[in-house]
Amino acid sequence: MNLDTAAIVAAIQAQVIALADQMGIDASDLGADDLIPATGYIDSAGLLELIAWFEKTYAFKVPADDLTIDHLGTPASMAAYVRRAKGL
Amino acid sequence: MATAVYVPRVNNNDDEVKLIELKAAVGQAVAVGDVLGVVETDKAMVDIESPAAGFVLAVRGAEGDTVTVGTVLVWLGATADEAAPAEEAAADTDTAATAAPTAKALALLAQYGLKAEHVPASGARLSAEDVRRHAAAKGLKPKTAAPATPASAYPPPQEPGKAVALQSHERGMLHTVSWQRDVAVPGYIEVSYDHPAWEAHANAVSQQHKLLLSPLLPLMAHRLVELAAKQPRYNATLVGEQRHEYAQVNLGFTVQAGEVLYLAVVRDAAAMAPMAFVHHLVDLQRRAAAHELLPTELQGATIGFSSMSRWKVERHVPILAPNTALMVAHTVAPDGSGVLAATYDHRVLHGGDVATLLRKLSQPPKD
Repeated sequence: MNLDTAAIVAAIQAQVIALADQMGIDASDLGADDLIPATGYIDSAGLLELIAWFEKTYAFKVPADDLTIDHLGTPASMAAYVRRAKGL
Repeated sequence: MATAVYVPRVNNNDDEVKLIELKAAVGQAVAVGDVLGVVETDKAMVDIESPAAGFVLAVRGAEGDTVTVGTVLVWLGATADEAAPAEEAAADTDTAATAAPTAKALALLAQYGLKAEHVPASGARLSAEDVRRHAAAKGLKPKTAAPATPASAYPPPQEPGKAVALQSHERGMLHTVSWQRDVAVPGYIEVSYDHPAWEAHANAVSQQHKLLLSPLLPLMAHRLVELAAKQPRYNATLVGEQRHEYAQVNLGFTVQAGEVLYLAVVRDAAAMAPMAFVHHLVDLQRRAAAHELLPTELQGATIGFSSMSRWKVERHVPILAPNTALMVAHTVAPDGSGVLAATYDHRVLHGGDVATLLRKLSQPPKD
């Protein structure tokens, strides 16, 4: 598992693009600092699937209280969050 | 082979007992002598002990239920993944009904060549389900086809193909739709709702708490819980000729996780403040998305809420969860108009009840 920031951001972007594609939406221009819920690319159900994938891929748990836009709102903040969780 | 644990007879005169404590949960490992539940009558309380070591495959009751002596309370298996039998047999023919059979039950009695006094009733009247359960336990086959049962009214497919066993969630859905077809008398009503007002309310809550996930649907579900808590008729089912009003509101909320549709249950939801409810429901949703819900979190719904706004459908007619009288359906059509609808059990609710509830639900609460 590559825990470089750029690699994590790229993996998150790819996952968002895949989830959006299931709903027939093109999310290929998602930026690292884009607020994912505000883009409309994926809805709440898609975000739940994204978090489930995030926890499974990086083998950790996100506490319920951390489900905020400050912690997990953008690909970049998600990458920073998992790196902190891993002590990096 | 699965082992049945039956509801015991406590007093000679009591054909029903109250299940005051349930200690068995699906998937749980048990040893001989473990207490699976406690039942009581006016005169005594009795522990129900496990007759065998194994795993709990199914539980046929909930705490507070009135259960019939001789019916199965728990199915045990040697392994946790064994399938529980779909139908359970009455163990004690002393419970045979003297209650009047329903019209459907009468028709089925004739088809199976049975007499009403030989079939135990689960409620005040002998129901078609009672007859089917008894016939299945005895291994009886109908002498004539059952006209009220579409599945038996049609021949099996004649074209070649292969039989694929249903997965557990598919069997659950089959049970749900069969309950609605065989037991409930479903009606359907829909109204438009003020989507912009609800969305503005949800956005304000989301910004205040910096939520990652939109709280719109959880807030609407919580409003439904509040309304059901004030009017118990919404949070009820029919048992025999009595309306069983549940002691607490257990909100079932549909969650689509890949190909699996869960009904995640928030127990005693009316006791929760709105934000506590939102956090709890979001936690259930995320664990459903990861297929990590506990069996107990998928049981005991007393009322339901379902949304297909994700698919931008203009209408969807939901199926009632077994032993509920109301399933609210939400969607937002492609033109942005909001629709609130409900499937309801007409034996418990009438159209005016449901329309009134949907109208109240169509506006966010005034803070």
